[in-house]
Amino acid sequence: MQTQIKPAAHADAAACRTIAYSVVLLAVVGFPIVVPGALSSYGFEVGFRLLLLMTLAEAWNLLAGYGGLVSLGTASFFGAGGYMLMGLMNFAGLPVLPALLASAVAGAALAALVSPAVFRLKGLYFTVGTLALAEAIRLFMINTSYFGGATGWFAVVDPPSVQVLYLWAWVLFVFATIVLSLYVSSRLSIALKAVRDDEAAADQVGVRVFRVKLLAFMTASALMAMAGGLQAVKLGAIEPYGMFGISWSVDVLSVVIIGGIGLRAGPLVGTVFIVALSEWLADYPDVHLAITGLILIVVIRCAPQGLTGLAISLWRRRNGRRTQTGRADAAGAQSALERG
Amino acid sequence: MENVDIVINSLVSGVLLGGVLALAALGLSIVLGVMGLVNLAHGELLIAGGYLMVFVMQPLGLSSLLALPLVAVLMAALAWPLQRYMLQPLADKPPESAMMTTFGLSIVLQNVYIMLFHADTRSIQFGNGVSSIQIGPVGFGRIYLIGFVLSIVVILAVHFLISRTAFGRDLRASASDPVAAAVNGVDVRRVHGWTFALGAACAGVGGVLIGSIFAFTPISGATYLLNAFAIVVLGGLGNIFGTLVGGLLLGVLQSLGGLMLGDGYRDLVGLVLLLLMLALRPQGLLGRKGG
Repeated sequence: MQTQIKPAAHADAAACRTIAYSVVLLAVVGFPIVVPGALSSYGFEVGFRLLLLMTLAEAWNLLAGYGGLVSLGTASFFGAGGYMLMGLMNFAGLPVLPALLASAVAGAALAALVSPAVFRLKGLYFTVGTLALAEAIRLFMINTSYFGGATGWFAVVDPPSVQVLYLWAWVLFVFATIVLSLYVSSRLSIALKAVRDDEAAADQVGVRVFRVKLLAFMTASALMAMAGGLQAVKLGAIEPYGMFGISWSVDVLSVVIIGGIGLRAGPLVGTVFIVALSEWLADYPDVHLAITGLILIVVIRCAPQGLTGLAISLWRRRNGRRTQTGRADAAGAQSALERG
Repeated sequence: MENVDIVINSLVSGVLLGGVLALAALGLSIVLGVMGLVNLAHGELLIAGGYLMVFVMQPLGLSSLLALPLVAVLMAALAWPLQRYMLQPLADKPPESAMMTTFGLSIVLQNVYIMLFHADTRSIQFGNGVSSIQIGPVGFGRIYLIGFVLSIVVILAVHFLISRTAFGRDLRASASDPVAAAVNGVDVRRVHGWTFALGAACAGVGGVLIGSIFAFTPISGATYLLNAFAIVVLGGLGNIFGTLVGGLLLGVLQSLGGLMLGDGYRDLVGLVLLLLMLALRPQGLLGRKGG
């Protein structure tokens, strides 16, 4: 669950790799936007889900991978963002973009509000606290009549086409990637990792533990809320069971753990895997989830760095073996020559 | 005077329900206290007890009182290998690994329940629990009283097991200092295995009783887990007496909350209480500061 901190000598190379990776990724995912007809509308639908999950996973990875804060409350912020956006669009007539920014503010504010509760007793309690938060908000929204109750809200404005939605999701993903790349390459992430590895020691050397965690929590929550806002735009109708459903929290956690926690490519690999699995088993949601849970258990046990980490180590081992067999062959040839 | 009667009624049923809730939280509390493990599959273990009762014990025609210990034994037998082969190997990894594994387990169990038993709502008919008891102005379902008495008996039995037996001594030693316990000849791995089995057995019995009072579905687990967690945080960690007090308190508050705000808010009471406790008094109601 811990990422390795690379030695300083490799930092520049790592930064170059990260930038190159990001550019290639953004270009590939952005490709259908510039080339018309590159994707069918089903393709855009799936692409939208991929981008949304990747954005959520990147945000979750900041919390869990860098901060050691394993959240089961993604749905709280996702749902809060969706309701904020829909409320502002329906009742204040705001266009999507400012409403989306307001969603981000709502997500960050909610994170700040609950931080005294979920940061107490540290570690494992954060997971339970965030799970409780999501369930509490869901139950509240179902029972109270203020926010449309169990039926929720319908959008006054018609949802845009899948192509436009895909474009927005791409913009949000680019935005999230930039924000998180800046975050991760700044001093902030060093303090965050210090808190993750030893909270007491970090406190001793003057790291403001609560503030460091709070900033990461607010940043991640703002991004999650924006993703929720986009989902609300796409659905055109929101209700508490879906927007605050635990499946968002489960999906995001599975994506990052299966993809590879704390690895740059982890969220991408995990998202493709999870979305492919759910498309394949679309008619059997219970089988799909049971298999996801099983994979989760196996990955935690056998590949703590996820599929990405597994692929990297397999590739290294294979390369290593090839050089070794190469040497053995050479030695064999040498001795054969000598004998001959 | 009618209003007073309603309040007294809900206080009484709250206390009785609280005893059952305490038993439902006991397994979570023991496993957390001894193994330092947040068992996110605890809710699904409770439900497993309910399904064992509905689909194994009752079709066999066993009487409810006889079925209860059988459920406990079966649950322990099912849970022991889970700990041995799934959680024990993660002992050297960061504590999140084991917790996430239990989360994976909860997802698997939840969906296996849906596949096997469908999403239908189930309820358990426990003995002659449907009839009601009327004492003066106070009336409540017989099952509330049966559940309360049985829960208190089980909780006292577990208390005895932990405070008076050789296994209990090993368990307490492993909880307070696993390394020192191991040095002194306690097989900590074995203790952890049996602790998890004991927790699951308590959960099974608690699940049967909760399922007799309220109906349950394959996805009730999250609510069960969070209620149990609220009780553990209320009562303070690894403290059987605290768990009992937390359970009684949550039972009363849930009943009053349901009465004042409507039945839909019943489960919200536990969640809000959990978040408030974490924010204001994380050491539990009975705990001392810094504990």
